[in-house]
Amino acid sequence: MIELDGVRKEYGDVVAVQDLTLSVGGGQFHCLIGPNGSGKTTVFRLLLGLARPTAGTLSVEGGTVGCGFQRPNFYPDLTVRENLQVFAGLVGSPSREWRETVVDELRLRRAMDRPAHDLSGGFARKLDLALGLLKRPDYLLLDEPLAALDDVSKERLLDFLSSYADDATVLVSTHHVGDFEPHTDRLTVMHEGTVVLDARPEHIDLDGHASLQAYYVALVRQQEQAASDRDDDARQPGRRPGAGGE
Amino acid sequence: MSLRSLLKKEFHWSKHNALALGFVLLLLPAFFASTSVVFGTVVPRDAPVAVTPESEDVTDQELSIITGAFEPFSAPKRVDSPAEAEQMLRRESVYAIVQVPPDITNASNDNATFVLTVDGSIAPFERPSQAIRVIMARALDDAPFLEADISVRREVVGTENSLSEYLVPSFLMAVMILFAFTYVPYNLAKERDVLDRIRTESSLETLILSKLIYFSVLMLVPVVVFQGAAAYLGYATTALSVGTVLTLLLTFFYLAAISTTIMVLLRFGTLGRFVNVVVLLGITAFSGLAFPVGYLSPVRKAIIRADPVHYSTIMTRSFMLKDADLSLFADWLLALSGFALLTLACVKLSAVYYRRTT
Repeated sequence: MIELDGVRKEYGDVVAVQDLTLSVGGGQFHCLIGPNGSGKTTVFRLLLGLARPTAGTLSVEGGTVGCGFQRPNFYPDLTVRENLQVFAGLVGSPSREWRETVVDELRLRRAMDRPAHDLSGGFARKLDLALGLLKRPDYLLLDEPLAALDDVSKERLLDFLSSYADDATVLVSTHHVGDFEPHTDRLTVMHEGTVVLDARPEHIDLDGHASLQAYYVALVRQQEQAASDRDDDARQPGRRPGAGGE
Repeated sequence: MSLRSLLKKEFHWSKHNALALGFVLLLLPAFFASTSVVFGTVVPRDAPVAVTPESEDVTDQELSIITGAFEPFSAPKRVDSPAEAEQMLRRESVYAIVQVPPDITNASNDNATFVLTVDGSIAPFERPSQAIRVIMARALDDAPFLEADISVRREVVGTENSLSEYLVPSFLMAVMILFAFTYVPYNLAKERDVLDRIRTESSLETLILSKLIYFSVLMLVPVVVFQGAAAYLGYATTALSVGTVLTLLLTFFYLAAISTTIMVLLRFGTLGRFVNVVVLLGITAFSGLAFPVGYLSPVRKAIIRADPVHYSTIMTRSFMLKDADLSLFADWLLALSGFALLTLACVKLSAVYYRRTT
């Protein structure tokens, strides 16, 4: 399991994540959702060891971690094949067969000999995902994996990730839960650096909303309103809580 | 109107890149302006000369008189034995040796011949050494207490190299410096695109170490090219020798480690590349690449003698032009290896700093 316990991360004066306690693992398709600036990417960077918590503890036990980045990370001057070779060597890719499977599943074969800097946005995303999958990680962390993908590629990737989640944990960061809804085993909603909801989708009461996406949007708005009210109270110290209005 | 908008955009860009622009517009011009002053002091009047007794019969007083007579036109150093003076000559600690004959203060001594020994490979010192011989003869004739009839003989030891040959090791060293402070930072800057993945799958330290090793080995290519070019031009220089290759690769390694440290501390950005260019200019100006350091002003000489590249340059010159034995520079090689380890430690600390500030 990956365990975050009371984690706080500050960048200068900005608190990106505060008092975050979360367990990730157990072979599930886990969606981390939240608006821009909610702290999702910071959580990913913490999980990947790219950032250090300002406070709290973080532990990764029993497995390897692979990742797909929000901004594709590969060598632009190398070809797709060369990138795959370099990183397969670096991560100790389990087998050549697995590498071939990844290439086929992500439909990268016809781009193998193209320089990576020539790839379209969609292919660049696929190459980044392929690099994250090379070591067949126990925890696959993907930051906005569907960005720049066409609808057909999205469906194909979601099917692949769904089956991958049978044997491993897939943690996806996004602000469009709709694409992932049919596949998601667990949903964690973040807002302003804290977790405001963590539940299995079937346990969430949509409260009259037509979809999980609509429910999420309403939840975020509610959080924003609450934050705004808190700010107003802070600006007017003499005002009693709940004593506003008419 | 679009021009106005684009000019406004340039202004915004300048605000965001104020540090880089500061380097280009302020520091670099200031550096060039100040280096012009340096060339004004390039007069070989402080050339270090070893004053050593020809035999045990030479007295302290006689050595003191000769040392004093040399002070107006050189920087004389009293050395106890000719063997020690020879070693200093081979290591470019001095550019000439003056052997003092016995009984120069003895009125019964009709003739005293001083021997001025110079190294044939230090081509820029050939003419000055001839001038020094003449000045020396005149100065010794005029010196008080010297009763003997004085004559000075100039002797050249080792191979006499042309100025072109003399400059070959300097150019090769310049290539190492240039590559370490321009291409290595450029290459590191390109790693920015993939740094997160590298840090996830491997480590910053491994990435850097792989680059230092790879580029150090790559430096064999210019060494081979110089060997080929020298052979084609008929120069008496040896680039492909153990001493030369060892010195050059060690030098490149510590220089590349310095430029890498700068890049990591400045987060692989443009500012890091500018700072490296400034360091490149500083090292070029203060390593005695072209001029023998003994020609330069005392202040500049002191700075250069604190610069490891200066010792690397002397070693490279000695190995390439004189086929010097490795043992002659064993202590310097050991010191440079220690310095290389120190720069490697700086790289490691910069990587730790990078991680802690992410």
